[in-house]
Amino acid sequence: MKTTVSATINGVAQTFEVEPRTSLADVLREQMRLTATHLGCEHGVCGACTVLIDGQPARSCIALAVTLDGAAITTLEGLADDPLMQTLKASFHDQHGLQCGFCTPGMLMSGWDLLKRKPDIQGQDIRVAMSGNLCRCTGYQGIVRSIEKAAQTAKGQVSQTKGAAA
Amino acid sequence: MNQTLDGRDRIVRTQGVGASVKRNEDKRLLNGQGEYLGDLQVPGMAEVAFLRSPVAHARIRGIEIPEAHKGSVFLASDIPFAKPIVAVSAAKGFNASDYPALVSDKVRFVGDLIAICIAPTRAEAEDIAQSCIVDFEDLPAVWDIDVATAAGAPKVHDHWADNVYVETRIETGDIAAVRAKAEVTVKRNLRMGRHAGVSLEGRGVLAHFNRRLDELTVYSSTQFPHVIRTIMATCLGVSEAKLRVIAPDVGGGFGPKNNFHPEELAVAALSMKLNRPLRWIEDRREHLIASPHAREHRYELTAYADSKGKILGLEAVVVVDAGAYSVWPWTAAMEAGMSAGIMTGPYDIPVYHARAISVATNKSPLGPYRGVGRSGACFAIETLVDAVAREVKREPADVRIENMVPLEAMPYRSATHKYYDSGDYPTCAQMARDAVDLPGIRARQAKPSPDGKLIGFGMASYTEQSAHGTAEWVARGLPVVFGYEPALARFTPDGKLILFVGIQNHGQGLETTLAQVAHEELGIPVADVIVRHGDSSVSPYGMGTFASRSMTMAGGAVSIACGQLAEKILRIGAHLLQAPKDAVTLRDGKVFFGQQSVSFAQIGEAAFLHPERLPEGEEPALEANAVYQPGRSTGAFSYATHACVVTVDPGTGHVEILDYVVCHDCGTMVNPMIVEAQVVGGVAQGLGTALYEEIPYDDNGQPLASTFLDYMIPGATEVPDVRVLHMETPSPHTRFGIKGMGEGGAIAPPAVIINAINDALKPLGAEIGETPATPDRILDAILAVKPAGAAA
Amino acid sequence: MKPANFTYHRATSVEDAVAALADTSQMSRVLAGGQSLVPMLNLRLAPVDTLIDLSRVASLKTVDEQSSAIRYGALTTHAAFEDGRVPDGSNGLMPYVGTQIAYRAVRTRGTIGGAVALADPAADWLTTIIALEADVIAIGANGRRTIAAGEFAIGPYMTALQDGELIEAIAVPRRPASERWGHEKMARKTGEYAESMAIALIDRNRKTARVVLGAADGAPIVLAETARAVAGGQTDDSLASVIRTELVASGRDFAPAKLLMHSTVILRAVKKAAAKQ
Ligand SMILES: Cc1cc2nc3c(=O)[nH]c(=O)nc-3n(C[C@H](O)[C@H](O)[C@H](O)COP(=O)(O)OP(=O)(O)OC[C@H]3O[C@@H](n4cnc5c(N)ncnc54)[C@H](O)[C@@H]3O)c2cc1C
Ligand code: FES
Ligand code: FES
Repeated sequence: MKTTVSATINGVAQTFEVEPRTSLADVLREQMRLTATHLGCEHGVCGACTVLIDGQPARSCIALAVTLDGAAITTLEGLADDPLMQTLKASFHDQHGLQCGFCTPGMLMSGWDLLKRKPDIQGQDIRVAMSGNLCRCTGYQGIVRSIEKAAQTAKGQVSQTKGAAA
Repeated sequence: MNQTLDGRDRIVRTQGVGASVKRNEDKRLLNGQGEYLGDLQVPGMAEVAFLRSPVAHARIRGIEIPEAHKGSVFLASDIPFAKPIVAVSAAKGFNASDYPALVSDKVRFVGDLIAICIAPTRAEAEDIAQSCIVDFEDLPAVWDIDVATAAGAPKVHDHWADNVYVETRIETGDIAAVRAKAEVTVKRNLRMGRHAGVSLEGRGVLAHFNRRLDELTVYSSTQFPHVIRTIMATCLGVSEAKLRVIAPDVGGGFGPKNNFHPEELAVAALSMKLNRPLRWIEDRREHLIASPHAREHRYELTAYADSKGKILGLEAVVVVDAGAYSVWPWTAAMEAGMSAGIMTGPYDIPVYHARAISVATNKSPLGPYRGVGRSGACFAIETLVDAVAREVKREPADVRIENMVPLEAMPYRSATHKYYDSGDYPTCAQMARDAVDLPGIRARQAKPSPDGKLIGFGMASYTEQSAHGTAEWVARGLPVVFGYEPALARFTPDGKLILFVGIQNHGQGLETTLAQVAHEELGIPVADVIVRHGDSSVSPYGMGTFASRSMTMAGGAVSIACGQLAEKILRIGAHLLQAPKDAVTLRDGKVFFGQQSVSFAQIGEAAFLHPERLPEGEEPALEANAVYQPGRSTGAFSYATHACVVTVDPGTGHVEILDYVVCHDCGTMVNPMIVEAQVVGGVAQGLGTALYEEIPYDDNGQPLASTFLDYMIPGATEVPDVRVLHMETPSPHTRFGIKGMGEGGAIAPPAVIINAINDALKPLGAEIGETPATPDRILDAILAVKPAGAAA
Repeated sequence: MKPANFTYHRATSVEDAVAALADTSQMSRVLAGGQSLVPMLNLRLAPVDTLIDLSRVASLKTVDEQSSAIRYGALTTHAAFEDGRVPDGSNGLMPYVGTQIAYRAVRTRGTIGGAVALADPAADWLTTIIALEADVIAIGANGRRTIAAGEFAIGPYMTALQDGELIEAIAVPRRPASERWGHEKMARKTGEYAESMAIALIDRNRKTARVVLGAADGAPIVLAETARAVAGGQTDDSLASVIRTELVASGRDFAPAKLLMHSTVILRAVKKAAAKQ
């Protein structure tokens, strides 16, 4: 039996019908056609499906859509205009932070949340913080470098805007 | 990179061969706009869930389909026209297996395909699969090499005499003489665990019939769409002209997507029969239990050496558990054959006798995985070299380097009948060793460790045969000879270049590096070059991406095609500029005569839309076709030495990597940034083989790792910052001197990690010879030499 | 890898959840953060007819500071501990443990109640609340009861909860300020379940100690003999034989490698606590 769920997805109010068993990831991918959110394991380990639920990073493969009535969901597509996300993407391009690109949306979402919470993070701490996102191609070196450089760039941008405001 | 390559003077270009150009393919992937198989939908599409065997070995007595689901469940008898996949090696005495799209008589491994269940959603399709009841007559499981080869063992394939696909031999030199004269004889038995390939995106197929074109279109997450079309047409009994195979964006391949799978055949066959679009997306559990597996080697090795550790001869028995079926096109003989066939690696070992045995068991078929055969061979020979060094009480690094093929001996023919084209193996090994503070480590080892952890140093070297052509593939006796690669270079009237190639890009950066080759020939900005691949109806027939071949082979083809275009563009440009042809040059997408120039857009316009502007006798249009084969088809040999420092915690068995260095040589590097990242990515996978990844089977033939909870791949904290050192010895036989390198990173880690662990364990007298080196295995090795009470 | 179908009930209150759970005509399960249960559903390893979603029950999210204990609602997330968004009476042990479980995107949703209820032998919270001598507050049709953490887990994935009961809160006593803790988790990968984990609490002033081993195949083991030795000041390598003897006597039949690993981990936890004095 299907249930009606209302949620804000990337800033737009949406109402959809789901079976209770349907994951958020499947709603996003199959119904909303938001396919940046990837599925690499469907049991919560690989991080490819990471999205934000009410601003917090979460695995969309193990979040049941039916439980999310009233929630605000943000996917990679929803952060297209976000300055920090743009900085991160530019950094992944510059530092060769991706190969096949399958883990990349999850990496970007986790990296974005990380830099929001810990703008000064570097080196080994990035590795620990990103350990919940698996990549089979890069060996992580390019990813860690991308996030580290993005942190530096983002700080530069923040201090510039602060300077401009003063 | 500014030196002369393959005899031609070339201008250093910031985007050409040798430049670390940022990738063209990044943009769509970073924006989440890549289009992977699971992102595709076709109207009217049904989702597929396979009913897979839950048991390893049983006869099927009957299948009960609930009344409500009749019409949604399809068996082998529903697609009788689909012929089984048969991959036969030309090796003498090879026992062939029929790998059917769906089994009907008996199941041969947990995961074998029994039925296709279709429904509007995958969840419902899984419901249907779960509701079917299969009546099995259980047979004893052949779950291990020893079980398979025991006298009177149950047989995986009833009509065979035993459970051996094939045994091949190499016998070079007089081993009896070496045995007699050796001062030192060192024996080791080693094991490398079975694991999975684990591309982050699983496999997947979407098939639908295109009414207008009267052709079946099959999307597959594959590394070689053209070749899939060939074999699929054969198995379906249709003409290749009525079949189109498309690989969309592919989320990692690494070998498991380089086979023709029964899932591809089953979905295509049923879609054809039902005239309905069908999509199957492999989930992680299916991938872990039923995608073609990797490794599972056993080695019995004997080295004969002199008192200094110079290895005079080697005997090897390589036994590989090849699983239930022979995979197409590689066959079940590949893994053991390649391992035995490259065993001596970078070493000058003149006498070599080997047996390579491929055994059939009730496990998922074994297929290619990054570093095919060579990871095992490197693990075997390098562990043995260290054991020899320990035996003669010398520094392993020294013994290793002294045994290597010296520079003067190049080109070198190995005891395994390989032709090493070029390279300086000893220097490479020295560079890797010197990048690590070996004297410092030896000094630390001499003192008691403050925290109880044991430090160890390991080294391992390998040669990587790449870009092999006709001769090598013929020698291997495969059903397809992957001898060449094509390219079609086509300008648009507005002056952009599209390269149509038969390789398949899934992370290697080929949409950029092939554009760099075009830039090298044409001076066209890399951003103006589009690389089209992965569609059998779009690009010329090509072999796909595997065996570290694409850069060399497709790069060569692109280079030739673009070279032809360059000539034509110069002619047209000179004509338009009213200049002599030898006075014009190509640069920045223009033809220059002094300060004057015409753009490629103007040239494209003339070539396609205004033939009246062309020089007299010049053919309209602007495109060129080329096919490339390397100068020697025995392969260009890349090589590398990995060196690492680990600590082993003797109280927990935990291994920590303190330093990891790779010194490698893949000839001319087209894009060093990409080369380095390929090395690091390969190392990460190799560390998985070395320390984490394993699918053990119990004695019922049940796989014991089927989720990411019990199957671990390395994460960001398990992979160290790898330091990569480069050497560049161009291959004399390939365009630009390129050698392939995609697999290399994954070859040495098992060997180097085990050597480092054993170096650390040396004071305890303990040694480990099995991957993955789990904490339990390391502790068991320690406890085997140390009474348990003396712990912690 | 999709779940079988089930019906969904969004509980509005604890009473509502308890009432729904009381219907024994079918298989019901409660859903908290879903970080263990939904993977099992996806793998079709956990049969369920009705899923009772606790996530909207506000009372399960409250944290109650009492004079001698802090009562954490069952839905308190791992991330809430990690971020210090809830009060701590454990001298920093609980916030630390909060950082050790899984990964950020799991910690934002996974709950202490769900982790304890699951009773995975290797679950971090289970060992932690046993070490801290916490109480599990259970509620069912017959009302509330308090179960000592040490008696809660009775085996791997087996607990003292009765049919129809759920965890309402975990009450953790405020530990004396003079107590020091040592925590050692041996996992093959960052964020993975432990191969072995131990927590040691030492209070020199009161001459007390507690030592608990987790990931020990069944319920965590409280090592009383070892703790006595530690309380008596034995925190050096000589403790190893005491630990070993006690582990062997525990009847768990550890393989030699596991015995060595657990002994090492316990000794290190003790040493870490001792070093903080
Ligand atoms: C990738 C990954 C890694 C992990 N690593 C670790 C780790 O290292 N250490 C660790 O400890 N955990 C780990 N976990 C598990 C994680 O901590 C879970 O969050 C936790 O075990 C379950 O909490 P939950 O709130 O998500 O519960 P759910 O998944 O919602 O429920 C779990 C079980 O508890 C029952 N339940 C839930 N709440 C209650 C309640 N209030 N009363 C009674 N029964 C209840 C449910 O019915 C279900 O059976 C990991 C999880 C993932 C996905
Ligand atoms: S797909 Fe969700 S964590 Fe892997
Ligand atoms: S780039 Fe392929 S999985 Fe990360």
